[in-house]
Amino acid sequence: MFWTVTQSLLEGFSKTVEIFVVTLAFAIPLGLIISFGSMSKIAPVKWLCKTFVWIIRGTPLMLQLIAVFYGPGLMLSWITKMSLDLPAAVMGVINALAAMDRITAVFIAFIVNYSCYFSEIYRGGIEAIPKGQYEACQVLGMTKSQTFFKVVLLQVIKRIVPPMGNEIITLVKDTSLARIIAVYEIIYNAEKFIKLEGIIWPLFYTGAFYLIFCGVLTVLFGRIEKKMDYFRG
Amino acid sequence: MKKTISVLLAVLLVLGAVFAFAACSDKTDETTTAANTEETTAAESDLQYITDKGVLVVGITEYPPMDYLDENNEWTGFDAEYAKLVAEKIGVDVEFVEITWSQKVFELDAKKIDVVWNGMTINDDLKKSMSITDPYVKNAQVIVMAADKAEQYKTIESMAELNFAVEEGSAGKDVAEENSFSYTGLPTQADALLEVSTGKADACIIDLTMADATTGEGSSYENLVQVMAVNEEEYGVGCRTGSDLCDKINEITDELIADGTLTALAEKYELTLVD
Repeated sequence: MFWTVTQSLLEGFSKTVEIFVVTLAFAIPLGLIISFGSMSKIAPVKWLCKTFVWIIRGTPLMLQLIAVFYGPGLMLSWITKMSLDLPAAVMGVINALAAMDRITAVFIAFIVNYSCYFSEIYRGGIEAIPKGQYEACQVLGMTKSQTFFKVVLLQVIKRIVPPMGNEIITLVKDTSLARIIAVYEIIYNAEKFIKLEGIIWPLFYTGAFYLIFCGVLTVLFGRIEKKMDYFRG
Repeated sequence: MKKTISVLLAVLLVLGAVFAFAACSDKTDETTTAANTEETTAAESDLQYITDKGVLVVGITEYPPMDYLDENNEWTGFDAEYAKLVAEKIGVDVEFVEITWSQKVFELDAKKIDVVWNGMTINDDLKKSMSITDPYVKNAQVIVMAADKAEQYKTIESMAELNFAVEEGSAGKDVAEENSFSYTGLPTQADALLEVSTGKADACIIDLTMADATTGEGSSYENLVQVMAVNEEEYGVGCRTGSDLCDKINEITDELIADGTLTALAEKYELTLVD
């Protein structure tokens, strides 16, 4: 029994890791774009980004999962019911969205959600750089992008490692929400044993998987922080 | 950097425009469309929609003996075999999709699945959100509690003081309400069992099939026993509201009963058909 459970949980855990990796790979760069948007000097861009971040951070990820996966299909049924005449292009987009499979919906919801959280961490990091440094760069005749990539970015990375570590560890555990739309991650598989065989311990056993994974990440982040020991003060 | 920002802005604006447009055009059309025509068009298209795509997508959960995986990892069980028979008669393939039970109405309305076919107990609340076929199999709700307490509670009247655990939106919850029991609603029947075995609730009301599968020797609930069966109930197949698929399934079911196929299937899985 122990072996059967371990095997099933490992299967689920590989899905958990998949969600984790894909989310990080896309959310880290996307977050940067959103943070630039919310610091933009162009007012509409700034407010659009800020509103977007407010909506995403202000609603539960579980609700976002449901909205992404079921929303387009529901909209389609409703369009048919109301017999609306929408342009072919719009219908094409909605049709494509409605045909989305479960795991894609999970990726989209997680990437968008985590980009918003990351964007605020980045913004905090970037805005913490003293104005004097920008002025110094200007005096030295550096362009804006040179200033950002050569002077600001490395300092920002150093500052954001601890809060990013925090958020990334939260992501590991948030992946369990994917089961709401029947994506078989580790908790989903464990709950099956409760339902079908009436055994409870697999659910608690999943904790070990999460703990080990988060342990590895904690060590990793500790190392990164140490490596970031350049420019003190 | 400016380029990225302008691209992002363009994408967001287009998305915003699409949603705004959808919202506006709705308001103008809403008033002009008559309620009757809507329903018939939706209903007429559903069976056609399924035959056109050539596959009936059946929403299930792992729920023996109705739906479960055999040794070859293929879906089988009473409902699975029954669904295959019906799909064959309609002339389409069948595809089983595992769903999260609490999302079944969403799954149907968003057309992620075409039917909910998974030992679904018919009740009035469900009838509001989907079209349900004629009942096909009988089931019962059973009261489960700790073995050492069971002796004291022989009648339903004697249980008035107990705290019950039930699955939210289930037939078990209806039983609790009818008897004015105090109860806690939980996401799944398994959670209800967990409440009882950990002493958070005195008893739970769950499906007979579920209780048979999960209590007794070898389970985590060896200390629990079935005290009594209440409320005979019936299973039905859920279709989208107003769907003509519902009538089609009824029609095919009558044929399957007439030629004895369904009766044989019920015997195989030790279930009782509705007469």
